[in-house]
Amino acid sequence: MLLPVLIILIGILGVGVMTTFTQSIGYFSAIGSNDFTLDNYMRLLTDKGLIESLVFSMRTSFISAFISTLGGVILAVAVYKLGNEGDLLSKSFRIPIIVPHLLSVLLIYNIFSQTGILARILFSLGVIDSFESFPQILYLKNGFGIILAYVWKELPFIAFITYNVLSKLSTKLSDAARNLGANSFQAMRYVVIPLLIPSILSSFILVFAFSFGAYEIPMLLGATYPKALPVKAYIEYINPILSNRPYAMAINFFIASMGLFLAYIYFKCFERVTRYEKQ
Amino acid sequence: MKNSRLKYKLIAYSMVLSIILPLLLIIIWSFANRWQWPSLVPTDYGLRGWSYIFGARAKTFEIICISMCISFIASIITVGITIPAAKAMAHYNFKFKKQIEMLIFLPAIVPTVVVAMGIHIHFLRMNLGGSFSGLVLINILPCIPYSYWILKNVFEIIGDKMNYQARVLGASSTQTFVYITLPMIFPGIITALSMSFIVSFGQYFINVLIGAGKITTFTMLMFPYIESGDRTMGSVYGTVFLFASLIGLVIVEKLTSSMYRGKLKEYKYV
Repeated sequence: MLLPVLIILIGILGVGVMTTFTQSIGYFSAIGSNDFTLDNYMRLLTDKGLIESLVFSMRTSFISAFISTLGGVILAVAVYKLGNEGDLLSKSFRIPIIVPHLLSVLLIYNIFSQTGILARILFSLGVIDSFESFPQILYLKNGFGIILAYVWKELPFIAFITYNVLSKLSTKLSDAARNLGANSFQAMRYVVIPLLIPSILSSFILVFAFSFGAYEIPMLLGATYPKALPVKAYIEYINPILSNRPYAMAINFFIASMGLFLAYIYFKCFERVTRYEKQ
Repeated sequence: MKNSRLKYKLIAYSMVLSIILPLLLIIIWSFANRWQWPSLVPTDYGLRGWSYIFGARAKTFEIICISMCISFIASIITVGITIPAAKAMAHYNFKFKKQIEMLIFLPAIVPTVVVAMGIHIHFLRMNLGGSFSGLVLINILPCIPYSYWILKNVFEIIGDKMNYQARVLGASSTQTFVYITLPMIFPGIITALSMSFIVSFGQYFINVLIGAGKITTFTMLMFPYIESGDRTMGSVYGTVFLFASLIGLVIVEKLTSSMYRGKLKEYKYV
């Protein structure tokens, strides 16, 4: 029964990652290279731009995943507390799930660029006197625009997951806490939130891993330097000099290993998610 | 009590608004012929962008159809292969179960960028590069975890008892699947199809790489305008994209529910 899905997974994912690895250690017959080498990994370790790319990717993904998770949980809890009234709201924050990352770039650009809506509103209020005096928010070295785009896209996703888990949780435990004299904040803080932690953590890792490996948003909203890790890998990959490709593959394999590591942690969290659901 | 409710209301509404408003903005922007700095509303409304992308020379409509076909076929295959996997995972115990589940979740975590660059050369060798089937094949990958996750939940909820009952009463395993299992997991199938369709329809990078310039998908049409910051054109494509996804979702639901009419009353969308 598992065979079809395993064929696809091993045939595409497995072979893809394996090829990345074999090319990165020098077995790349298209350029006649068939000797084992660790040069690409040595280059990886000594490339200063690469370390900055790694730090940049880590930082933007971590900050955006952190803000998305925090905001998403707050939104989910607020909507959950509203009861029936929150029902419509919970449907509307699912909308960004159908919007691709590519489009979220446009949304952020429309609002936060120097001639975007925010700048126009500030201008008409007299806060700024020309679009040049509106601070540059996008394409910065600190990756602020990238973070905004990811937060817009991922916050609703986290809210959606958390809201689902919340509405599946039995109210017995928090009722018991209330009965024993806890106020509603305490019941939330000491009973409900701890029960939510595994699913919050696993969705945090999912979002973090995704933005760490995704290419579109940092490509379109990032600075020319430092580049996000996947963007750097892609640029090395499309380099017309084929002998550069094993190096791109070394970067790719590094990204994939990070993914594997995160997958392991994700899985450890995921095991606990279903533990407290209503029977 | 009243006070805290107001607080929740304030938080919920302001956050939902800031999620929804940017989307409304692109719809407005798509109808703006001119919207110069510093006006707050378009100075000239019109259909410039719309008439351009649906004009005679643009192949927009054709490309939307191709993209939708790729995504539909990829979704159907994804759901087809994840149904047995989800059932096995939900109802049976076997060796390496956890490791296999981790493998199934991997495409959501290991970037498709990496996989696509690695598999690219093999696709070219097998003549799958730049072909319709190659694109379908690579599009299945990112859909697998979502479809699996949804279906496994459904299988866990419905349990295995009904199937046993049918088998005890003498149904063959095919009959049990067609008459018992399938109708019961049906809402899950629609959700899984819809989710896979959305995941696949929004793919950009893997399509560029595997499409090799021979097949264009809708996201590839959109990319240059967003890259150059052309707001009107980008917004038109964006709006078309959103409508196309919604139409895609409706098609998924209509097609599948026409097969099982009347059994979907309490079904809720993704």
